[in-house]
Amino acid sequence: MEIKKLLFVTKFEDLCYDALNSLLSLRKAALDHVVFLNVIEREKVSMKRGSGYLKEEEVKLKETANIRFIDWAENLFELGMEVGAYIEVSDLIPEILKVIEIEKPDLIVIGRSHKRKLEQLYSRSDITELTRRVRIPILVFKHLGEDKVVPEELFKRPLFATSWSTSSEQAVSSLKEMGKVIGELHLMHVVNEKDLKHPNSHEVQKVRKNERKRLENLCDEFEAVGISARPHVYVGDPEKEILKAAKEYQATMIILGVSERSAILERWMGSIARNIADKSIYPCLLFPVVS
Amino acid sequence: MNKKVLVVDDDPDVRSFVVTVLEENQYTPLVAHDGIEGLEMIEKSAPDLVILDVLMPRGSGIRLYRHLKTDDVLKNIPVIMFTGIALKSFLKSQKALDEFKGGEIPRPDIYLEKPVEPEELVRAIQKKIG
Repeated sequence: MEIKKLLFVTKFEDLCYDALNSLLSLRKAALDHVVFLNVIEREKVSMKRGSGYLKEEEVKLKETANIRFIDWAENLFELGMEVGAYIEVSDLIPEILKVIEIEKPDLIVIGRSHKRKLEQLYSRSDITELTRRVRIPILVFKHLGEDKVVPEELFKRPLFATSWSTSSEQAVSSLKEMGKVIGELHLMHVVNEKDLKHPNSHEVQKVRKNERKRLENLCDEFEAVGISARPHVYVGDPEKEILKAAKEYQATMIILGVSERSAILERWMGSIARNIADKSIYPCLLFPVVS
Repeated sequence: MNKKVLVVDDDPDVRSFVVTVLEENQYTPLVAHDGIEGLEMIEKSAPDLVILDVLMPRGSGIRLYRHLKTDDVLKNIPVIMFTGIALKSFLKSQKALDEFKGGEIPRPDIYLEKPVEPEELVRAIQKKIG
């Protein structure tokens, strides 16, 4: 699946032009259309006792967003790209879904969730909500470190943690389209510790060898389309191991397939992909479950 | 019969402003909310003039302008660009697309940067279609 059109959802707090700029390497693949979306939360302009609906505030917020988008759009137009923009007073997730329906983007880019922990527990984070409701990849953008440095080349050293699920397969087919964009791809799989519990070390080594072989075969598939790839087998808690590998190989982003879990289970335990996307410092490209 | 002028803009306030100016000056306004609807309206209603925004959802004015100027039937419809995007950026975008897609698209007849006073808009319209 090619990424020709991306939807860039921003509140201007942590997702600005530098983030967008770091994604422009996707132009070497197929990207030629960016759609901006700014959702103004209803409570910022809603009815207040004594003042009613804050129309002037709405105009101010919309024009502030418009000024930013015009500035960004000028840069993109000058590159020969197509640009569209939506500025709406609405709720974030419903508005994103509405724009997806109209624009049919191939990728959503969004900043990390700003809901507080308690809010997330009862209403889920925006990212969790989104991954459950869309069928296209979602890039959860982060700044690497507190100095808010944007990785200039987001696709220079991505770490793809495969669980061999259907959503991981979806990730594989999309990544293969990015041969001109990806620098070096690090492929990893985390073996569950319980799979290594065996009285015979030979059997344990076999698990590692099988997984390694599987990863090597996948690397060969990537090499065949011009993507340099390296396999890594880790053992333990997937969430911790993926972050460990990202640090060890200085990943510029983490790529994950989202697993399907029941809503109740996920609310209390989370999913690996969503937890990493919500909590880690790394930008995360999530591939949702394929229906 | 009044001349038909199509306004293509996603901003309701801008549409309302331009429609009022048109009505007060005996033109018949037509309205479209984005580039795709704009093209449909142009093909259906054959307006005498198009007033076109650039940054819009569902198809920008840059692509619509390009489509109009490369279409044998539609290329003679005059276009006033009415936008917040700087002329320099508009021209650079067309140049980049010229290089990528081939061909050379003529500059817009009139390029107005928002906002403008009603008189300036009327003068621009009158200059193109009387």
